[in-house]
Amino acid sequence: ENSPSPLPERAIYGFALFLGSWFGFMLYLIWAYVPETWLFSLGLTYWPQKYWAVALPVYLLVAIGIGYILLFGINMMSTAPLNSTDTVTDNFAKKQQQKKFQEEAIPALRDIPISEVNRMFFLPEK
Amino acid sequence: MEEWWYRSASGARIALRRRQHSASCRELAVRCPRLRLRSLSAATSAAWLAAYGLFVLTENSMVLSAAIIITLVGLIIYLHFVKIDQESLLVIGSLGIQVTSSYASGKESTTFIEMSQVKDVVINEAIHMQKVIYYLCILLQDPGDPQGVSEVVPLFQSSKPRLDCLIEVYKSCQEILEQRKTAPQSS
Repeated sequence: ENSPSPLPERAIYGFALFLGSWFGFMLYLIWAYVPETWLFSLGLTYWPQKYWAVALPVYLLVAIGIGYILLFGINMMSTAPLNSTDTVTDNFAKKQQQKKFQEEAIPALRDIPISEVNRMFFLPEK
Repeated sequence: MEEWWYRSASGARIALRRRQHSASCRELAVRCPRLRLRSLSAATSAAWLAAYGLFVLTENSMVLSAAIIITLVGLIIYLHFVKIDQESLLVIGSLGIQVTSSYASGKESTTFIEMSQVKDVVINEAIHMQKVIYYLCILLQDPGDPQGVSEVVPLFQSSKPRLDCLIEVYKSCQEILEQRKTAPQSS
């Protein structure tokens, strides 16, 4: 079941994630601010370089900024050019079945060819 | 011969000229606005001022001669390869469709499409650079499949007329293309 109603399991997951993220944040702050000598005196010597405490957030923010531009560029690149047949038809429209016309019924949904659409829009009916 | 004034997609004034050579032959030409003297002098002055600023910074007189040569060569290349003066469409009922582009330097580039390859001339809508534009295009027939489209040839790419001009061109072309169905096919 995929209902959005609250369940006891979800409350437990949420609280565990909340505690975990607070713990991770405190650990990050301690690693970034406490001088190395104090950490060494406690016996904790195997930490990554403090350079990364500043570098990783900067990398993340620059990646998010570039991601906006990259997504925009990817969208523009995947737009079909003006001279491609993708602007007129596609595989589903080519293989569609023609349903039989029934009296007094709404016609079935289908992809209307572009020549027919143009004639209907732009040539005035006499 | 009739002439109407319209606007292009960017707002410039373009002229559509229609000539009826015979009952089954029609020529439609769209004329773009000419290169304006003020925009040419503005671009040239901007380029030369930038070059002079660079010369003041670097004290190298080659910058000035390079700027003059680049401006002249750039103008010639622009007039010969980029600036289109007129795009015309000649529809001959039993023969085919000829598309001509004439550039500002006098160069003309022509494409001819035989009538048996032409499926239809339609106004298509497509997404182009964050906008949805209407453009006229020739649909080429797929030799294996009578309902299929093998290729799309967009027309009037430089003058980019708006929908009212395109509807006029579309109606003129359809009057000639309809004669294909009534006249007997000879292969």
